[in-house]
Amino acid sequence: MIKVNHLKKSFGKNEVLKDINEEFNQGEVVVVIGPSGSGKSTFLRCLNLLEEPTEGEIVFEGTTLTGLKEKELNQLRQKMGMVFQQFNLFPHKTAKENLTIAPVKSKGISQHEADQKAVQLLRQVGLGDKENAYPSSLSGGQQQRVAIARALAMDPDVMLFDEPTSALDPEMVGEVLKVMKDLAQSGMTMVVVTHEMGFAREVADRVLFMDDGLIVEQGSPEVIFSNPRHERTKDFLSKVL
Amino acid sequence: MKKSVKGIIALLILMSTFMIPGTSASAEDGSALQRVQDEGVLVVGTSADFPPFEFYAVVDGERQVVGMDMMIAQKVADDLGVELQIQDIGFDSLLPALEARNVDVVIAGMTPTAERRRSVDFSDIYFQTFQNIMVRAEDQDVYDSIESLSGLTVGVQSGSLQEELANQIPDAQIMSLTDLNDLLLALKTNRIEAIVMQGPNAVAHAENDSDLHTFVGDFELDDDDQGSAIAFRPGEDSLVEAVNESLAEIEEQNLTEEYLAEAGEYMAQTELDEDGEEIEEGFVSSYWEYFWDGTLITLLISALGVIFGLIMGSLLALMRLSKRVLIRFPATAYVEFVRGTPLLIQVMFIYFASGMFFNLPALTAGIIAVSLNSGAYIAEIIRGGINSVNKGQDEAARSLGMSKKQTMRHIVFPQALKNIWPALGNEFITIIKESSIVSVIGVGELIFQTRVVRSISFQGILPLFVTMLIYFVLTYTLTKLLNFYEGRMNHD
Repeated sequence: MIKVNHLKKSFGKNEVLKDINEEFNQGEVVVVIGPSGSGKSTFLRCLNLLEEPTEGEIVFEGTTLTGLKEKELNQLRQKMGMVFQQFNLFPHKTAKENLTIAPVKSKGISQHEADQKAVQLLRQVGLGDKENAYPSSLSGGQQQRVAIARALAMDPDVMLFDEPTSALDPEMVGEVLKVMKDLAQSGMTMVVVTHEMGFAREVADRVLFMDDGLIVEQGSPEVIFSNPRHERTKDFLSKVL
Repeated sequence: MKKSVKGIIALLILMSTFMIPGTSASAEDGSALQRVQDEGVLVVGTSADFPPFEFYAVVDGERQVVGMDMMIAQKVADDLGVELQIQDIGFDSLLPALEARNVDVVIAGMTPTAERRRSVDFSDIYFQTFQNIMVRAEDQDVYDSIESLSGLTVGVQSGSLQEELANQIPDAQIMSLTDLNDLLLALKTNRIEAIVMQGPNAVAHAENDSDLHTFVGDFELDDDDQGSAIAFRPGEDSLVEAVNESLAEIEEQNLTEEYLAEAGEYMAQTELDEDGEEIEEGFVSSYWEYFWDGTLITLLISALGVIFGLIMGSLLALMRLSKRVLIRFPATAYVEFVRGTPLLIQVMFIYFASGMFFNLPALTAGIIAVSLNSGAYIAEIIRGGINSVNKGQDEAARSLGMSKKQTMRHIVFPQALKNIWPALGNEFITIIKESSIVSVIGVGELIFQTRVVRSISFQGILPLFVTMLIYFVLTYTLTKLLNFYEGRMNHD
């Protein structure tokens, strides 16, 4: 579904991603772990071109995204939902409006249809009673669940999660992870950058370990967590587990 | 200061003449008369704060510029067989307006001094005047000659002949103001000891104000300095000749005396009660129309200034945020230039410079200038507002597939607007107050009308107070309105 060929990304002289080759398949849940500064967030943000790769190409559903025209890129992005560490809800819009603005404006869906879908999605993430609430009146966990629903409102083929629980108070992490698990079980293709090892172990089909701009090791959760081969993987896991 | 403004205008006009060769028509031949007759209108520039020569009065329920000069203008227009159109402009701006072709001739009790003759042509002298000194009535025994004023502070109208004559008073401190009414107020409030004024004008004021006393000053005068004449653009001899014929007729039939008497009647009409309390009541009821008209024009200029300023400011802000230098640079240059030059000069430049190519009404020129000016300031406010919106908002919208334009319009801009609301409100209030600057080109907004009321009511302070109140009501109402909308935008 997504194919990454020789991806490199530099910020100035700092080379953050060094020649990454990877493929994500339909229905797969892939969790990316690694120490901070390893380049995993940048890698994720390159997948929908929020970061412009310095070199290499991203192919999504057969179309090469890199070098694509603005308009076509926008259309393909509609199929790649993204959830951010800082939620990034639109503060001047209610929960429901957060879900409907993009479908109505960029997909051309009628307001009525978008509203119905929004209410259903908010119910799905356990916030059926919050449709008219503004983000500022919601807790962090609630905001992140609205953000997930907002991405789902576009009917994406894949969901990208950029450390979705890192900015949450500990007692709110569970409710967000629950929504993500439900989503995984429903067959959604997911790429998740996270520090939640429990989630990785339980939900992931595949775990990628990144360090210093490279994918150092990958495999099923059992292999990575119980029997890592690389020293750097062992070192990292000994610190977080 | 006023002289330097005039210098700058002259320089600007000169510059634009060089920039667009072939459009300057200052050295026109005998066709000037033909041109006026073809257009069927004689546009006369004057400065209507100068009774009995030119001032406002209500004629048949309508406010008009009247006075001896205006009757002469009417006669001249009649003799030429054209309509008369009067444009009231500040005295300082009259000759620039003439050169810039905003008006055809200037009739404003103007004395044809040698200095003025260098830049414009004059008709024959149509009125022999005399030069007076105005003092407070209580001082009439102390001050009775030039000599008695030596070493004291003396007021004159800036750019006037009297400004030069005042130099004949030994060691005098000269205070130059644009508006005669300000001079009279300065005299009454003891800021100055005397004013050098044109004779008939001084007499008119003294007759209408028992606190004032005037006498003929013992100045040494050139022959040139004692009369009033009509000013023309250089080289328009055919027009000068035609006008001189009318003036000769006026002299022959001694019409000026008749005109002066008629002007006196208009002045009597605006005279006020002696009783102090009744003046205040009578003041508002007599002059509310002036203030009302002025307020409407001020609101019009401000409202359009805000609307066009917002549109332009938004465009400029987006241009300045562009990645392309070719788009960014012109916007940056524009903003820096407009912010770096005074609104006063911008207003004058647009009015006078445009006058050389087409006839832009003063109100339109004023609105354009205020809009162009506020656009630059609003651009900076909006740019700051857009930068203040978290980058994550842009990323979230783009990740949902929204285009750059949609993201800006639906996500970033509304949030920026909320952040900059107080700063925008400040700018709107500034526009209301700064719009008063367009009074220099004769736009009848609030400050201009205040000047008119002061000149016809012979009241110095009361009109200022009323105007102050009106401005406060306007800005305070706006503040309340803005606060209301700020509250509605607040979802935090």
